Formats: sequence, C-alpha cells, structure tokens
Amino acid sequence: MRRTYLGEFEEVVLLMVAILDGEAYGVTVSQALEEHTGRVVTFGTVHNTLIRLEEKGFVGSELGGATNERGGRRKRLFHVTALGNRALQEIQQLRKQLWQLMPPTKLRLSGL
Amino acid sequence: MSASNANQPHGLPPRWLHKLLVWFHPEETIEEVEGDLNELYVYWYKRSGKRQATMRYLLNVVSVLPPFVKRRQRKQEYRTTSNIQPVMIRNYFTIAFRNLKRQKVSTSINIVGLAIGLATCLLIFLYIENELSYDRYNAKADRIVRVAINLRLNGEDVDEPTLGPSVAQDLINEYPEIQEVTRIRNQGSRFVSYGTTAFKEDYILYSDSTFFQVFSIPFLKGNPKTALKEPNTLVITEEIARKYFGKADPMGKSLGFGSSKTPYRITGVVSKVPENSHFRFDMLASLAGSEEAKKIGWLNSMNFYTYLVLPEKYDYRQLEPKISRLAEKYIGSEIQKYLGISAKQFRDKGDDFGIFLQPLTDIHLNSPFQGRELSPPGDIRYVYILTSIAVFMLLIACVNFMNLSTATAARRAREVGVRKALGSAKGQLQQQFLIESILMSVIALIVGLLIVGLTLSPFNQLTGKMLSLDVLISPLVATSLVACTLLVGALAGSYPAFYLSSFKPVLVLKGQKTTRRDGLNLRSGLVVFQFFITITLIIATVTADRQLRYMQAQKVGFDREQVLVIHDTYMLQKNESVFREKLLQYPQVISGSISGDVPVGASSVDNGAVMTKENPDKGVVSRRYRVDYEYISTLGMRMVQGRNFSKSFSSDSSAVVLNETAVKALGWQKNPIGQELIGSIEGDGTKKYYRVIGVVSDFHFQSLREKIAPLVMFLGNNSGNILVKTRTNDLPKLLTSLKQQWNSFASAAPFTYSFLDDRFEQVYLSEQKIGQVLMLFSGLTIFIACLGLFGLATYTAEQRTKEIGVRKVLGASVSSIIALLSAHFLKLVLIALALASPIAWYAMNQWLKDFAYRIEVEWWIFALAGLSALGITLLTVSFQAIKAALLNPVKSLRSE
Repeated sequence: MRRTYLGEFEEVVLLMVAILDGEAYGVTVSQALEEHTGRVVTFGTVHNTLIRLEEKGFVGSELGGATNERGGRRKRLFHVTALGNRALQEIQQLRKQLWQLMPPTKLRLSGL
Repeated sequence: MSASNANQPHGLPPRWLHKLLVWFHPEETIEEVEGDLNELYVYWYKRSGKRQATMRYLLNVVSVLPPFVKRRQRKQEYRTTSNIQPVMIRNYFTIAFRNLKRQKVSTSINIVGLAIGLATCLLIFLYIENELSYDRYNAKADRIVRVAINLRLNGEDVDEPTLGPSVAQDLINEYPEIQEVTRIRNQGSRFVSYGTTAFKEDYILYSDSTFFQVFSIPFLKGNPKTALKEPNTLVITEEIARKYFGKADPMGKSLGFGSSKTPYRITGVVSKVPENSHFRFDMLASLAGSEEAKKIGWLNSMNFYTYLVLPEKYDYRQLEPKISRLAEKYIGSEIQKYLGISAKQFRDKGDDFGIFLQPLTDIHLNSPFQGRELSPPGDIRYVYILTSIAVFMLLIACVNFMNLSTATAARRAREVGVRKALGSAKGQLQQQFLIESILMSVIALIVGLLIVGLTLSPFNQLTGKMLSLDVLISPLVATSLVACTLLVGALAGSYPAFYLSSFKPVLVLKGQKTTRRDGLNLRSGLVVFQFFITITLIIATVTADRQLRYMQAQKVGFDREQVLVIHDTYMLQKNESVFREKLLQYPQVISGSISGDVPVGASSVDNGAVMTKENPDKGVVSRRYRVDYEYISTLGMRMVQGRNFSKSFSSDSSAVVLNETAVKALGWQKNPIGQELIGSIEGDGTKKYYRVIGVVSDFHFQSLREKIAPLVMFLGNNSGNILVKTRTNDLPKLLTSLKQQWNSFASAAPFTYSFLDDRFEQVYLSEQKIGQVLMLFSGLTIFIACLGLFGLATYTAEQRTKEIGVRKVLGASVSSIIALLSAHFLKLVLIALALASPIAWYAMNQWLKDFAYRIEVEWWIFALAGLSALGITLLTVSFQAIKAALLNPVKSLRSE
C-alpha cells in the first residue's frame, strides 16, 4: 500500500513536473496541463497543488530564472524527488496489476 | 515598471488587479506568483487578445487570494519567534500613547468624532430597542391578535381598529381554537372622586373580566381571575391607590365616577402598566355592567378593541379567512338592516368590507390607525430612518479616522522604516497599527458612554420616552457593544495598517515621499461620501421642517386665536348655561358657546352615516357635531351659503349645517339649501329627516395629515366645554376672574382651560419631535464630517508649507493661495451635491406622500443644502488655508 495518498489531480501535476524535467514552474505546468489533458484550471489550483506536493515531499523547489517577461521576478522551479519518483512508479505498478486482474469479457464489452 | 513597459509589446495586466494581488496574496509566495501570472497574462494576450486576457487574469488572481490560496509553510530557520510577543505588545502601547499625545489635534478629532458617533448610535439603539419592545412584556405576546375592520363606503376607506360589542362573543362561540378573548373600551377622561377629593383621570379603560388572562399586568392585591367579574368593579394601579388612599388599603373601597358619582368598588391593585405598552390605564373598570357592551352587532357601536389569544404555534393567518366568512354573515345582515341592500349589492356599487387580524406586537409600529389607537403609535419608518442615520454616523466617523491616519502617515514613515530595517515583519506592523486604532476606539467608547450618560435625560425630554441605561448592562448588549467598538476600531484601522506597513524601508529612510496619488484619490472618495450623506441629511431636515411649518401655518378655516376652551363644564350640570351667561357679561368676552365638540385634539368623536332623502341606500360617513346657536360665530367660521342656526326659527331643531365637503359627498353642489337628509335611524328603523339650512366653508377639525371629512352640524344640547371668544390684552387677569367665577359654582372639578391654537400645536407634537430629533442628528453628522474635513485641511496645508512658501516668494497673493487650497475640497463637495440631490429628492417625495396637505420639494432646498455645505467647507478649510497663506515664507523655507 502507498504510504501517502495521492489524489488524481495531484498525480497528474506530479507527472507534468516529471515530464517538464527541470523546466517545471507554475506557468509551464498549467500550460502543459492544458495542452496534454485539455483541462483548463485556475492558476490557484495548480499553485495550491504544487505546494501540497512539496509538503508531502514528492517535489522539491528552488527559486531562480528571472526573465524580462516576468518583470524581473524569480520563478520557483520544481523537480520530482526520489519519494515522488517512487510514488509514481508504485501507482503505475498498481494499475498494471489491477488491469491484469480484469476478466477478458469485460475488456471486450467495453470495446477494447 | 513603466520603463519596462516599452519593451513589452503586450503591456501589463490592469494596475488595480495587480494591486489586489500584491495586497492580499501571502507574502511567502508573492514573488513567484506575481511573475507567473504576468507571464500567463502575456501568453493569454498573445493568444486571445486584451479582453480575454484581462478576464482570465482576474479569475486567476481571485484563485490565488485568501481563502482559496494555500500558504507555503515557512522553513523553520526563517522564523524563530512568533508574531505575538508580550514585550512588543507592551511597546506598541507605549508608542501608541506617545503618538496620541504628540499629535493632539488629530487625536482629539478622531476621538471626539468617534465618541459622538458611538454616543449617537447608542442613543438611537436605546430608542429603537424601546420601540421594538412594545407589548413584548406580555407572556402571550406572540399569540395575541386584535380584530380590525376594513370598510369602504362611497369609495372612501374607513378602517377601524374597533368593532361592535358582540364580535368577541361570536368569535369564541364559533372557533374552538380561540383560547381567550377580551374587549377594551375607551371612554375618555372622567372626574373621579373619593369623599371630598376629586381628580380628572385621563387614563380610564373599561374591559372584560378576561383582561388579565390576555395581558400580563402583575397583580399586587386581589385576584386577577375574578377582579372584574361583577358590574361596577375597578382595578387601579399602585400610583392611583396612593393618590386617593395614601397608605390605607384601597381594597373594597369605592370611587365615584363622573358628576353622578357612580360608585365603583376596588377589587384589585396592579403595578404600573409598562411604558412600552400600546395602551395605558390608571384605572380599569369592568364592562360587566355596561348596557352598550351587551348590544348585538359588528358595525353597531363600533367602539370595542377586541383581542384574541390563539394557541401556541398557530398562524393567525389561518384564522383570518375563517373570520371573514363569519363576518360575511353578520355584517351582511347588518348592512341589510341599516341600508336596506344585500352585501352583494353593497359590493356591486363599489363598496366593501373585510375583517383582518393584527398581531399584538405589530400594533405599535405598524398600525394603520394613527389617531384611533389607545395611545399614539410609533412609526416603523422612523425606526428605519434612525437606524440608517446611526450607521451613517458611524461610517463617517470611521472614514474620518481612516482619512486622518493615512494623511498623517507620512509623519510615521520613518518609524515604519526603522522598524522594518530592524527586522519587523509586515504582520507585526499591521498588528501595531491595529492595536493603536483599537485603543483609540476604546477611549472613544468610554467618552461616548459619558456623553450618553449626560445627554440621556434631555434626549428623553425630546423624544418623550423613558429610556434608561439599564438595557446596556445586560451581558448580551454589553458584550456586543464592546465587540462592536473593537470592530469599528479594526475596520477604521485596517486601511492605515495595510497602507503604513507596506512602505518600503529603503525609500522612506532615504527621505523620499511615499506615493501620494493613490492615497489622495481614496481620501477624496471618502470626503465625497461624507458630504453625500451630509447633504442628503440637510435636504431631508429642511424639507421635514418646512412641511411641519406648512401644516401649522395652514389656514384652518376657523379663528384659532383668542379662542379659549374651558374644559369639563358639564361638571357644573344645570349651571353650565348659567355659567355661560355670566361669562357673557364680561366686557372682554365677545361670545361663548357650549359644545362637547371642539375641533382638533382630544375630543369625543361621533362618526355616523347620513343619507340623502332621494338615495337612502347611499350612506356618507361624516363627523357629527352637536352645537348651539353661537358655535359657528364663536369659532369664526365662514358661512358660504344659507344661514346659521337661529333662535327665530323654531324649526331649526330639525335643521343641519354642512361643510363644503359634505355637500359634495352628498351630491348637492347645485343647490344644497333646503335639501333633506336622513340624519339617524332609530333601532326600530324609523328615519329622522333634517333640512339643510346653511353651508360653512371647509375647516380642519382633524390633523392636517388627514383630508377634511364631511361634517354635519345638528342643533342640540351638547354639554362638555365652553368655547369663549375673547378680546383682551390682559389674559392672565381675565383668567383669574374666570376662575373665581367658576369656583363660585362649587364644582367638584377644578378650573381647566386650553387655547385653540395650543391644541392645534399638540396634534403635531409627534412630527415636531421627530423633526427635532432629525435636526439634532443631522447637525451632529455635519459636525463630525466637518471635524474630518478640518483635520484633512490641516494636513494638506502642512504638507504644502514649502510649496506655499515658494509661491509667496515668487509673488502669489494671499487670496490666490487660499483659492489654491480650497478649490480641491470645493470640487469634492460639488460632486457630493450632484450625487445626493436625486436620491434626497426621491426619498423626500416618498415621505411627503403620506400627508394630505403637503409642500412641493423645491429646487431652492437643494441649492440651500449645496450652498450651506460649500459654506461649511469653506469655513473649515479656509481657516487652515489662511493660516498657511499668512505664514512668513522665511520661516517655512528656512528649514531646507
């Protein structure tokens, strides 16, 4: 069993941070979210989720990378921690196991 | 920021939204979020244009404001101490007291303003609390209702709170859910005697024995269940017991009523009827012996206030339709009997009747029966008006506070800088300034309570109430008062706290001025708001005052000057006319008339329907006067047509004189003289005819709130009062000799009198009172607003000392500098005037609608309000402006 519960949205955000690989901060995460999942969420939701993930220890962050676009303000860049990596893999594992338990008829019925 | 704007092809998000974000977003994450949102804004701007970008920016800014945003937890190493440190808090107090002492002007303006605001609120609270508490002392208050009637006769609505004597019995017989029923009958004042002492008692009511099962008046002696069961029994208050019997036990003794001294046996003593009751009695007599109370009828003898007690949790609206059905039966048959038509025919010609119920607790504030209540009712609208005045007053005081604190902020900028440089966090500074303003509001509360304590008795005199501070001692009120004060302090202090704590230490320590434009704009807005309220109040007060004056100055249609009313001459019995003859022998007396009917003010009232001979089913409800030959001439009424009653026509005993309204209502505009009308119908249905001999011009016999009603004057003996028209310069002398004359008849009653014009004034007492209260409060509001303005002007002048010095050196005149300093404020007042006028105009028109005879709201009132607001502004501002303009430039420029 997983040690910390990871919500669905949290999981997606965590995946985005992993995908963006060192380039993840508020703006890129929300844009990636919109691009890959089609979900349009408020910035506050992303912001809050990132803070929560950091509190749970799945991501780490540091300040850096001010650009002119941002009026010289620094970004907070996020990266996935070892704990976060493990959590993602565990989820992946669990899903895989569960899919294998699915009876084949069911798969056919749902058109797969 | 504007420098970087040039490199930015897509601009920056709206300033105010950005500001909102910076103010409210948690400090820990503001930098990254600000940057992210800017970047997103640019991204949106490129994708979908300015409008979309702004909309999305707004939405996203809101999503990162509290309470939606999550706070990033600070890492421990940053924060080793908590925000709340006893040492620091003590320091805040020390600094606060030092500051209050140093800035004497603004401190006293703040405290005085807030204290007056709080004191006014308290007084108004006491007043409203009292108004709302009416009749709630009754244990069954929520379950008691009163039966009232809507009547429409010949297109005229005559609603009455009183009904015929048999309504009570009929209702309790028909509906088992009615638990108790009682009736009250008011018969006006009487002379009450015990042995040789006699007093005129104004507060005598008659009631059924069930009275004390309905109303909770505590008994001191006697049994509430049986006290009024027998005829001619009487319950008196403690006070009356002392007045007549001193220390002796009143139980079982008898008091004599009226000139015949009918004995009433005392069977109970109660404590005083609470002031907040819709009726008042000193004596409550039994209805058991009354012939009238045994009569049958709903419309017949409509003199009884009928109260019902309903079961708990029973909605009185359920009962209303049921009672209406019963009313249909009883009133329908009475209409058949008196008018000779069925209820349906009655309705077909546009008339109507219906019964409705009034909850007891609604009677005082929501009664439609102004003058026909047992005691003068209040008015819910005045409760609303006063509440809003209280709220506005407090708002204005808060606004002053905010204005002055931000204005004087510059003086404390260095302190903020030093504190920040030494490691003070924004939150701590906010805490400090909030503590300061709360401290100020607590001082203001104490001063305010003192003011209330000192002004309560004059306020009671003004409003005619018996308010006391007892209400404030109850824990609920006391805690909410303190809570309210703290809230006011926090509210007024919050803006300065945020503003001051946001100063950048580097800038303020370098001595640079903090940005002034925003602060000034907000301050201007607040000044406009204050003057908006002030001007509205000035307009309201002037209009109300003019309406009152108008009502008092109206031509009333009779001569109200030099007419003396000698009261209660019926006590002389047969000697009444002898006394009149004696009076006529005085050279100062022109004429004298005996009549119980006196226009305006307390008088017995006889309303009844009269019909024309041709149209016997069309009743016109009219006031009926019984007068003697001299009545019309004594009151100086003008005959429009025909003649007055005269001794030379013996047929005048069946003649009437009408007023113009009655002529119109009966449809005799062409030739009223000689027409015949049915003046009364006996119990057996025989009609009594009267011939019209004259018409007097309309005169006001009621308050000017009401339209002049039809009036029919019959010739008849109507003992009651003697009206005397006098012609003298030495009234006191005349009165003394009249008194001697009176005493020579050895009447039980003392000699009492009033002047007709005084009675007239009495009618408008409630309006006068409310007018004075309005005047007082709007005066106070204006005063507080001026205080704020004064403080602000002082500050502006101080800020611009150097500028003024430079201008003077360069040759500016004193007047041009005064104009420079005042112009800004004048502009604000003009804006406020423009905003206030339409609103005040609408509100005053609504208020005036209630008066049958009213003034128009004229443009000059607005001009007057505007001019006086401008005048007040100029006075307050120019005092400072002149001081600043006269200052020697050498002094103001030397310090550089």
